Amino acid sequence: MWALSPVGLVNGLPLEVVGLCKCFGKTEALRGASFELRQGERLALLGPNGAGKSTMIRTLAARSVPDKGEVRVFGEPGRSAVARQLIGWIPQDLAIYGDLTARENMMAFAKFHGVPRRELKQRVQWALQWTGLHDRANHLVRTFSGGMKRRVNLACGVLHQPKILLLDEPTVGVDPQSRQRIFEMLDELSAAGTSLLLTTHHLDEAQDRSDRLLIMDAGRIIADGTIDELVDQTVGRSRLVRLRLDRQIHSAFRLPHHLSNHSGVQDSGDSDMTRIIDRTVETRISDVDRQLTQLIDSVHRQGYHVVDLDVQALSLHHVFLHLTGNKLRD
Amino acid sequence: MTWTVFTISLRRLLHSPVELVLTFVVPVAFFSVFALIFSKGVGIGSTPKTKVAITAQVDNLAAQTLVDSLQSNDGLRMISLVDENDNDGPTPTPKAVAQAVRNGTIAIGINIRKDKQGELAVDLLTDSSDQVAPQVVTAIVARELAMLHAKLARTQQQPEVMRRPSLDSPTEKTVPIAVPSEIHNPAAAKSEVKASTVEQPFANSIHVVDVMGEGKSSPIVSLYAAGIAVMFLLFGASGGGGAFLEERENTTLDRLLSTQMSMDQLLLGKWFYLTALGFVQVTVMFIWGQVIFGVDLASHLDGFIMMTIVTSGAAASFGLLLATLCKSRGQLNGLSVILILTMSALGGSMVPRYVMSDGMRRAGQWTFNAWALDGYDKVFWRELPVHTLWPQLSVLMGAGVGFLLVARALAVRWELE
Repeated sequence: MWALSPVGLVNGLPLEVVGLCKCFGKTEALRGASFELRQGERLALLGPNGAGKSTMIRTLAARSVPDKGEVRVFGEPGRSAVARQLIGWIPQDLAIYGDLTARENMMAFAKFHGVPRRELKQRVQWALQWTGLHDRANHLVRTFSGGMKRRVNLACGVLHQPKILLLDEPTVGVDPQSRQRIFEMLDELSAAGTSLLLTTHHLDEAQDRSDRLLIMDAGRIIADGTIDELVDQTVGRSRLVRLRLDRQIHSAFRLPHHLSNHSGVQDSGDSDMTRIIDRTVETRISDVDRQLTQLIDSVHRQGYHVVDLDVQALSLHHVFLHLTGNKLRD
Repeated sequence: MTWTVFTISLRRLLHSPVELVLTFVVPVAFFSVFALIFSKGVGIGSTPKTKVAITAQVDNLAAQTLVDSLQSNDGLRMISLVDENDNDGPTPTPKAVAQAVRNGTIAIGINIRKDKQGELAVDLLTDSSDQVAPQVVTAIVARELAMLHAKLARTQQQPEVMRRPSLDSPTEKTVPIAVPSEIHNPAAAKSEVKASTVEQPFANSIHVVDVMGEGKSSPIVSLYAAGIAVMFLLFGASGGGGAFLEERENTTLDRLLSTQMSMDQLLLGKWFYLTALGFVQVTVMFIWGQVIFGVDLASHLDGFIMMTIVTSGAAASFGLLLATLCKSRGQLNGLSVILILTMSALGGSMVPRYVMSDGMRRAGQWTFNAWALDGYDKVFWRELPVHTLWPQLSVLMGAGVGFLLVARALAVRWELE
């Protein structure tokens, strides 16, 4: 693995985004979005479809000019030649040549990224090892599986040793094994000091594989923090409890007030946290040790028996829906 | 089920404007182009005027009468030639007329002279690449000679009248006009002085002389090779443009432009590639033509290289222009088929331009193919020195640069959203 310092320029934050605005006709794709990416950080950018994630990534990759706002890469303007050299972009689509071999693709993109001729072979050799495609180096990419193509797509964006890597849904459409492999590859880059910004719809991936999360909606950053911070700021530290009872639940079934109206949760506009569907009761409790017993006792008192019990910590999924709602976006 | 398959096929067609254009507009467009070519050119009895020049070596009333009648003939267009070496005479010399045929200035040279018996004789100096004009002019000259003889016979009180046969007077004596074998098979012409004889009462009066095909093996094939090559150059360049659009559609273009590469470098790279590919493509075709069909490539290498480089470069620019003009590969396919086939039809890649009317020929001058084919014609058929290629090279180079600049201007929209 080479030292990730292509131009030796390390001034300030890797990426600063201030008040980005971008309109397409009457559609406002970005409406004053601001955030920063820190050295070696893995930052996940989440949002429903149409939130502006792809426009944001394209703007950061200098493929879209913002109407307002500023992008700075290590203090340099985002569209400067230096910034381009410091950024690697992995588009969501497979932006590689299917009728070239893996080695030929990597060689071509290394040249496009300005890798010096004397280093080409070494870089491509590293990338082939890194992607686990050394044995298939001379095979046409169009003959590869989806996961292998994704890895080539990824490799073609890092051959110039970028300090910042922008990934637009890098694991879309691949199996869990390939996804695991891709995240191991990204972890390697992160460990070597590369700052990663990735968009994804896989919330579990974002939760497990990133240091910090940005949630975007309607062109704005609406949440920024670690998973713990976001949970605290939104749904709180409660646990989700799901009880399956022995028979259909009668309409007169009631839980004690302090269980059905969870006090530790910020108001999301949907204060009733209890849902009853067929034989299942779903509610949230803030103190498992005390309130779980009370909940089961209450069920018993109303003549039911608990046949199954599931206690879950609230996840990014809940935070995401809490912030962006359940309404379809497209 | 069958009905469902039928209806979904129809619905898919209705949802695809490009398919609709290819299905309904392109055939109509082509029918119109060919209808214009043939309705105002050969066929249905209205032959285009043939460009001729007359030189008379005989100064008597009969010769002057023949010249006058030919000059007033509706089927011929007289082209004035000035002989640079001999400006003394009222008509150009036979040498100047033959040279004009070689240059393509005229289709047929008419040389009026006396034969060994002192009778009027006519030499038709022809270009055997034009397979229509010699037949037309032979018939016209035979008719005018017959009319002249009839007039002379009346003057000398001769009872027999030689007239061109017609449906109105079927009993009149017919004048069979046979087409000389060289017209059917230009390669059969052995030399400039070799003449054929027209089988008619004036059998020894009309001589068809091929001033172009002598000493050439399968020369006409080079013209067809050029026509096909230019059409496929355009299709190849359009395919290259399609690959460019594919890159745009799958975001590879975006990715390339996010690297150190600029749009200028990208377009130039693609232009050089398409030009080189076109050059090799045409060269392979002509080498094949030389090996199999006897096209004389080796003797015309300088002109061939110049024409092929410039034509390939212009075709590459044209392909890039089409690509940058379109939004999708489907759109490009529709547009390129329409444009390339229309240009090929008008420009002479499909139908020789000599069969077209003057209007269609003028329209053909606006096509890429016509200029390229004229250049190859000068190199392989007329065997003119390479400096005479300057009009073709200039136009094609100008078109190439122009197309490329417009393509660059259109590509600005892809550089930045």
